[in-house]
Amino acid sequence: MTVNIKKYPGTPLSEKDFAEGKILFNYDELRGDYAWDTGIAIGRYLAGLKEGVILGARCKACRKTVVPPRIVCEWCFRPMDQYVPLRDTGQVNTFSLCYVTWDVRRIEEPEISAVIEIDGASPLHGIMHRLGAVDPQQVHIGMRVQAVWKPPEEREGAITDILYFKPLEEV
Amino acid sequence: MMTLLERYPDAPASWLGQMPVTSRYTFGLAGERFFRAIKEEGRILGTRCHRCQRTYVPATMFCERCLAELDEWVDVGTFGVVHTYTLLHVRPDGTCRETPEVVAFIRLGDGGLLHRLGEVEPDAVAIGMRVQAVFKSAPEREGSILDIVCFRPLG
Repeated sequence: MTVNIKKYPGTPLSEKDFAEGKILFNYDELRGDYAWDTGIAIGRYLAGLKEGVILGARCKACRKTVVPPRIVCEWCFRPMDQYVPLRDTGQVNTFSLCYVTWDVRRIEEPEISAVIEIDGASPLHGIMHRLGAVDPQQVHIGMRVQAVWKPPEEREGAITDILYFKPLEEV
Repeated sequence: MMTLLERYPDAPASWLGQMPVTSRYTFGLAGERFFRAIKEEGRILGTRCHRCQRTYVPATMFCERCLAELDEWVDVGTFGVVHTYTLLHVRPDGTCRETPEVVAFIRLGDGGLLHRLGEVEPDAVAIGMRVQAVFKSAPEREGSILDIVCFRPLG
Protein backbone atom coordinates (compact mmCIF):
# COMPACT_ATOMS: atom_id res chain seq x y z
CA MET A 1 0.00 0.00 0.00
CA THR A 2 1.09 3.55 -0.60
CA VAL A 3 2.72 5.71 2.09
CA ASN A 4 0.03 8.31 1.51
CA ILE A 5 -2.55 6.10 3.17
CA LYS A 6 -2.40 6.66 6.91
CA LYS A 7 -5.59 4.97 8.01
CA TYR A 8 -6.56 1.44 7.12
CA PRO A 9 -10.30 1.03 7.49
CA GLY A 10 -11.52 -2.48 8.17
CA THR A 11 -11.56 -5.05 10.92
CA PRO A 12 -8.23 -6.80 11.20
CA LEU A 13 -8.38 -10.32 12.64
CA SER A 14 -5.58 -12.18 14.34
CA GLU A 15 -4.98 -15.90 14.73
CA LYS A 16 -5.83 -15.34 18.42
CA ASP A 17 -9.35 -14.19 17.54
CA PHE A 18 -9.96 -17.51 15.81
CA ALA A 19 -8.34 -19.59 18.56
CA GLU A 20 -10.34 -17.90 21.32
CA GLY A 21 -13.63 -18.16 19.46
CA LYS A 22 -14.07 -14.39 19.18
CA ILE A 23 -15.00 -14.75 15.55
CA LEU A 24 -17.23 -17.26 13.82
CA PHE A 25 -15.89 -18.92 10.71
CA ASN A 26 -16.43 -21.83 8.39
CA TYR A 27 -13.51 -24.15 7.72
CA ASP A 28 -13.65 -26.40 4.68
CA GLU A 29 -11.49 -28.90 2.86
CA LEU A 30 -12.19 -29.50 -0.79
CA ARG A 31 -11.07 -32.50 -2.78
CA GLY A 32 -8.72 -31.49 -5.57
CA ASP A 33 -8.14 -34.84 -7.26
CA TYR A 34 -6.91 -34.58 -10.80
CA ALA A 35 -5.69 -36.76 -13.65
CA TRP A 36 -3.35 -35.11 -16.13
CA ASP A 37 -3.02 -36.78 -19.52
CA THR A 38 0.69 -37.22 -20.14
CA GLY A 39 0.27 -37.17 -23.90
CA ILE A 40 2.53 -38.94 -26.38
CA ALA A 41 5.87 -37.26 -25.77
CA ILE A 42 5.73 -36.72 -22.00
CA GLY A 43 4.38 -40.25 -21.58
CA ARG A 44 7.43 -41.58 -23.40
CA TYR A 45 9.67 -39.25 -21.35
CA LEU A 46 8.26 -40.60 -18.06
CA ALA A 47 8.63 -44.19 -19.31
CA GLY A 48 12.23 -43.33 -20.16
CA LEU A 49 12.88 -42.01 -16.65
CA LYS A 50 11.68 -45.34 -15.29
CA GLU A 51 14.36 -46.96 -17.43
CA GLY A 52 16.93 -44.47 -16.14
CA VAL A 53 17.20 -42.44 -19.34
CA ILE A 54 16.47 -38.77 -19.98
CA LEU A 55 14.91 -38.57 -23.45
CA GLY A 56 14.83 -35.58 -25.75
CA ALA A 57 13.22 -35.14 -29.15
CA ARG A 58 15.09 -34.12 -32.27
CA CYS A 59 14.07 -32.20 -35.37
CA LYS A 60 16.50 -33.05 -38.16
CA ALA A 61 15.52 -30.08 -40.31
CA CYS A 62 16.22 -27.58 -37.52
CA ARG A 63 19.01 -29.68 -35.98
CA LYS A 64 17.37 -28.99 -32.66
CA THR A 65 17.01 -31.30 -29.67
CA VAL A 66 14.56 -30.35 -26.95
CA VAL A 67 14.03 -31.78 -23.49
CA PRO A 68 11.49 -32.84 -22.29
CA PRO A 69 10.55 -34.29 -25.69
CA ARG A 70 7.69 -32.77 -27.67
CA ILE A 71 5.93 -34.17 -30.73
CA VAL A 72 6.09 -30.92 -32.72
CA CYS A 73 9.15 -28.80 -33.41
CA GLU A 74 8.61 -25.33 -32.00
CA TRP A 75 10.71 -23.80 -34.78
CA CYS A 76 9.27 -25.34 -37.96
CA PHE A 77 6.02 -26.79 -36.55
CA ARG A 78 6.67 -30.14 -38.23
CA PRO A 79 6.54 -33.42 -36.32
CA MET A 80 9.75 -34.23 -34.50
CA ASP A 81 11.80 -36.97 -36.13
CA GLN A 82 12.95 -39.09 -33.23
CA TYR A 83 13.49 -39.49 -29.53
CA VAL A 84 17.12 -39.26 -28.51
CA PRO A 85 18.58 -40.51 -25.26
CA LEU A 86 20.52 -37.72 -23.56
CA ARG A 87 23.17 -37.90 -20.87
CA ASP A 88 22.17 -37.49 -17.25
CA THR A 89 24.67 -34.69 -16.76
CA GLY A 90 24.40 -31.00 -17.48
CA GLN A 91 24.98 -27.54 -16.13
CA VAL A 92 23.06 -25.13 -14.00
CA ASN A 93 21.36 -22.51 -16.16
CA THR A 94 19.71 -20.73 -13.26
CA PHE A 95 18.81 -21.58 -9.67
CA SER A 96 17.05 -20.37 -6.56
CA LEU A 97 17.62 -20.98 -2.86
CA CYS A 98 14.18 -21.34 -1.38
CA TYR A 99 13.75 -20.95 2.37
CA VAL A 100 10.04 -21.70 2.48
CA THR A 101 8.11 -24.85 1.66
CA TRP A 102 5.35 -24.90 -0.93
CA ASP A 103 2.83 -24.12 1.80
CA VAL A 104 4.95 -21.23 3.07
CA ARG A 105 6.53 -22.69 6.19
CA ARG A 106 10.05 -21.48 6.96
CA ILE A 107 12.87 -24.01 6.65
CA GLU A 108 16.50 -23.79 7.81
CA GLU A 109 18.08 -25.65 4.93
CA PRO A 110 17.00 -24.22 1.60
CA GLU A 111 15.39 -26.25 -1.13
CA ILE A 112 17.47 -25.55 -4.26
CA SER A 113 15.52 -25.56 -7.48
CA ALA A 114 17.40 -25.13 -10.73
CA VAL A 115 17.03 -25.26 -14.47
CA ILE A 116 19.62 -27.72 -15.73
CA GLU A 117 20.77 -27.71 -19.33
CA ILE A 118 21.03 -31.39 -20.20
CA ASP A 119 24.08 -32.61 -22.10
CA GLY A 120 23.04 -33.72 -25.57
CA ALA A 121 20.15 -31.26 -25.87
CA SER A 122 20.51 -28.03 -27.83
CA PRO A 123 22.17 -25.17 -25.93
CA LEU A 124 19.94 -23.55 -23.30
CA HIS A 125 17.49 -26.49 -23.35
CA GLY A 126 16.96 -28.08 -19.98
CA ILE A 127 14.64 -29.24 -17.27
CA MET A 128 13.71 -27.89 -13.89
CA HIS A 129 14.80 -30.03 -10.94
CA ARG A 130 16.35 -29.92 -7.46
CA LEU A 131 20.00 -29.74 -6.51
CA GLY A 132 21.27 -31.83 -3.61
CA ALA A 133 24.43 -33.00 -1.85
CA VAL A 134 25.81 -29.49 -2.19
CA ASP A 135 26.55 -26.49 0.02
CA PRO A 136 23.90 -23.93 -0.99
CA GLN A 137 26.51 -21.18 -0.94
CA GLN A 138 28.62 -23.07 -3.51
CA VAL A 139 25.88 -23.31 -6.13
CA HIS A 140 26.56 -21.17 -9.18
CA ILE A 141 25.40 -20.69 -12.73
CA GLY A 142 27.38 -22.93 -15.06
CA MET A 143 28.05 -25.52 -12.35
CA ARG A 144 28.37 -29.05 -13.77
CA VAL A 145 25.88 -31.49 -12.25
CA GLN A 146 24.78 -35.11 -12.58
CA ALA A 147 21.47 -36.83 -11.85
CA VAL A 148 21.12 -39.00 -8.75
CA TRP A 149 18.57 -41.69 -9.59
CA LYS A 150 16.29 -43.75 -7.41
CA PRO A 151 17.16 -47.45 -7.41
CA PRO A 152 15.57 -49.06 -10.51
CA GLU A 153 13.02 -51.07 -8.50
CA GLU A 154 11.66 -47.90 -6.86
CA ARG A 155 11.19 -45.92 -10.07
CA GLU A 156 7.62 -45.31 -11.14
CA GLY A 157 7.82 -43.26 -14.30
CA ALA A 158 7.88 -39.85 -12.63
CA ILE A 159 10.18 -36.83 -12.64
CA THR A 160 10.95 -37.77 -9.01
CA ASP A 161 12.67 -40.94 -10.32
CA ILE A 162 15.59 -38.52 -10.38
CA LEU A 163 16.05 -37.61 -6.71
CA TYR A 164 18.18 -34.55 -7.40
CA PHE A 165 21.21 -33.35 -9.32
CA LYS A 166 24.54 -33.30 -7.48
CA PRO A 167 27.79 -31.54 -8.37
CA LEU A 168 29.72 -33.51 -10.96
CA GLU A 169 33.29 -34.41 -10.09
CA GLU A 170 35.07 -34.09 -13.40
CA VAL A 171 37.66 -36.81 -13.95
CA MET B 1 13.30 -45.52 -35.32
CA MET B 2 10.50 -44.80 -32.90
CA THR B 3 7.60 -42.79 -34.15
CA LEU B 4 6.52 -39.67 -32.32
CA LEU B 5 2.90 -39.96 -33.38
CA GLU B 6 1.86 -42.93 -31.27
CA ARG B 7 1.70 -43.54 -27.58
CA TYR B 8 4.42 -45.73 -26.17
CA PRO B 9 2.74 -48.81 -24.67
CA ASP B 10 4.67 -48.68 -21.39
CA ALA B 11 4.12 -44.96 -20.84
CA PRO B 12 1.91 -43.85 -17.95
CA ALA B 13 -1.28 -42.61 -19.62
CA SER B 14 -2.02 -40.05 -17.00
CA TRP B 15 -0.53 -38.46 -13.97
CA LEU B 16 -2.72 -38.66 -10.87
CA GLY B 17 -2.48 -36.10 -8.12
CA GLN B 18 -4.26 -34.35 -5.30
CA MET B 19 -4.31 -30.69 -4.50
CA PRO B 20 -5.09 -29.92 -0.87
CA VAL B 21 -7.56 -27.05 -0.87
CA THR B 22 -8.52 -25.63 2.50
CA SER B 23 -10.46 -22.50 3.23
CA ARG B 24 -11.46 -20.40 6.21
CA TYR B 25 -14.42 -18.16 5.56
CA THR B 26 -15.41 -15.42 7.97
CA PHE B 27 -18.97 -14.18 7.72
CA GLY B 28 -18.31 -10.46 7.77
CA LEU B 29 -19.84 -7.86 10.09
CA ALA B 30 -23.49 -8.61 9.36
CA GLY B 31 -22.89 -12.35 8.97
CA GLU B 32 -21.14 -12.50 12.33
CA ARG B 33 -24.17 -10.99 14.09
CA PHE B 34 -26.57 -13.14 12.04
CA PHE B 35 -24.83 -16.39 13.03
CA ARG B 36 -24.27 -15.26 16.64
CA ALA B 37 -28.05 -14.83 16.95
CA ILE B 38 -28.59 -18.35 15.58
CA LYS B 39 -25.97 -19.80 17.92
CA GLU B 40 -26.75 -17.95 21.12
CA GLU B 41 -30.47 -17.20 20.82
CA GLY B 42 -31.84 -19.58 18.20
CA ARG B 43 -33.19 -16.60 16.30
CA ILE B 44 -33.02 -15.66 12.62
CA LEU B 45 -32.25 -11.97 12.09
CA GLY B 46 -32.65 -9.68 9.15
CA THR B 47 -31.85 -6.03 8.54
CA ARG B 48 -34.49 -3.56 7.41
CA CYS B 49 -34.28 -0.68 4.96
CA HIS B 50 -37.05 1.80 5.73
CA ARG B 51 -36.73 3.74 2.52
CA CYS B 52 -37.09 0.62 0.37
CA GLN B 53 -39.46 -1.19 2.72
CA ARG B 54 -37.33 -4.33 2.54
CA THR B 55 -36.08 -6.79 5.11
CA TYR B 56 -32.91 -8.58 4.10
CA VAL B 57 -32.45 -12.19 5.20
CA PRO B 58 -29.71 -13.16 5.83
CA ALA B 59 -28.89 -9.78 7.32
CA THR B 60 -26.75 -7.45 5.21
CA MET B 61 -24.84 -4.28 6.09
CA PHE B 62 -26.14 -2.33 3.12
CA CYS B 63 -29.39 -2.13 1.17
CA GLU B 64 -28.71 -3.62 -2.22
CA ARG B 65 -31.36 -1.37 -3.76
CA CYS B 66 -30.46 2.09 -2.38
CA LEU B 67 -27.03 1.23 -0.91
CA ALA B 68 -27.92 2.83 2.44
CA GLU B 69 -26.18 1.44 5.50
CA LEU B 70 -28.62 -0.67 7.48
CA ASP B 71 -28.72 -0.55 11.28
CA GLU B 72 -32.21 -1.74 12.11
CA TRP B 73 -32.09 -5.40 13.05
CA VAL B 74 -35.32 -7.38 13.11
CA ASP B 75 -36.20 -10.87 14.26
CA VAL B 76 -37.93 -12.49 11.29
CA GLY B 77 -39.07 -15.52 13.24
CA THR B 78 -38.44 -19.16 12.43
CA PHE B 79 -41.38 -19.73 10.07
CA GLY B 80 -41.00 -19.51 6.33
CA VAL B 81 -42.52 -20.54 3.02
CA VAL B 82 -41.05 -22.91 0.44
CA HIS B 83 -40.25 -20.71 -2.53
CA THR B 84 -38.77 -23.49 -4.64
CA TYR B 85 -37.22 -26.89 -4.02
CA THR B 86 -35.36 -29.77 -5.60
CA LEU B 87 -34.94 -33.47 -4.84
CA LEU B 88 -31.37 -34.73 -4.69
CA HIS B 89 -31.13 -38.38 -5.70
CA VAL B 90 -27.31 -38.55 -5.62
CA ARG B 91 -24.76 -37.72 -2.95
CA PRO B 92 -21.89 -35.29 -3.58
CA ASP B 93 -19.65 -38.26 -4.43
CA GLY B 94 -22.08 -39.39 -7.14
CA THR B 95 -23.51 -42.46 -5.38
CA CYS B 96 -27.28 -42.98 -5.24
CA ARG B 97 -29.43 -42.14 -2.25
CA GLU B 98 -32.17 -44.57 -1.27
CA THR B 99 -34.50 -41.69 -0.47
CA PRO B 100 -33.95 -38.29 -2.04
CA GLU B 101 -32.83 -35.35 0.05
CA VAL B 102 -35.03 -32.28 -0.26
CA VAL B 103 -33.31 -28.92 -0.59
CA ALA B 104 -35.41 -25.79 -0.70
CA PHE B 105 -35.19 -22.02 -0.77
CA ILE B 106 -37.27 -20.87 2.17
CA ARG B 107 -38.62 -17.32 2.13
CA LEU B 108 -38.04 -15.35 5.32
CA GLY B 109 -38.64 -11.59 5.37
CA ASP B 110 -37.91 -10.38 1.85
CA GLY B 111 -35.05 -12.83 1.46
CA GLY B 112 -34.59 -16.36 2.61
CA LEU B 113 -32.33 -19.29 3.26
CA LEU B 114 -31.30 -22.32 1.27
CA HIS B 115 -31.70 -25.37 3.49
CA ARG B 116 -32.82 -28.97 3.86
CA LEU B 117 -36.42 -29.95 4.37
CA GLY B 118 -36.91 -32.69 6.92
CA GLU B 119 -39.67 -34.73 8.53
CA VAL B 120 -41.53 -34.75 5.23
CA GLU B 121 -42.13 -37.23 2.42
CA PRO B 122 -40.50 -35.96 -0.80
CA ASP B 123 -43.82 -36.43 -2.62
CA ALA B 124 -45.59 -34.20 -0.12
CA VAL B 125 -43.34 -31.17 -0.67
CA ALA B 126 -45.00 -28.29 -2.48
CA ILE B 127 -44.20 -24.73 -3.39
CA GLY B 128 -45.94 -22.41 -0.94
CA MET B 129 -45.70 -24.92 1.90
CA ARG B 130 -45.29 -23.36 5.36
CA VAL B 131 -42.21 -24.62 7.19
CA GLN B 132 -40.46 -24.07 10.51
CA ALA B 133 -36.75 -24.08 11.40
CA VAL B 134 -35.59 -26.96 13.60
CA PHE B 135 -32.62 -25.86 15.71
CA LYS B 136 -29.99 -28.01 17.35
CA SER B 137 -30.01 -27.77 21.15
CA ALA B 138 -28.20 -24.67 22.44
CA PRO B 139 -25.01 -26.44 23.66
CA GLU B 140 -24.60 -28.14 20.28
CA ARG B 141 -24.80 -24.94 18.25
CA GLU B 142 -21.52 -23.56 16.96
CA GLY B 143 -22.44 -20.59 14.79
CA SER B 144 -23.09 -22.27 11.48
CA ILE B 145 -26.02 -22.58 9.09
CA LEU B 146 -26.07 -26.24 10.17
CA ASP B 147 -27.14 -25.09 13.67
CA ILE B 148 -30.49 -25.30 11.92
CA VAL B 149 -30.92 -29.04 11.34
CA CYS B 150 -33.63 -28.57 8.73
CA PHE B 151 -36.97 -26.91 8.09
CA ARG B 152 -40.03 -29.06 8.74
CA PRO B 153 -43.65 -28.68 7.69
CA LEU B 154 -45.71 -26.58 10.04
CA GLY B 155 -48.44 -28.14 12.10
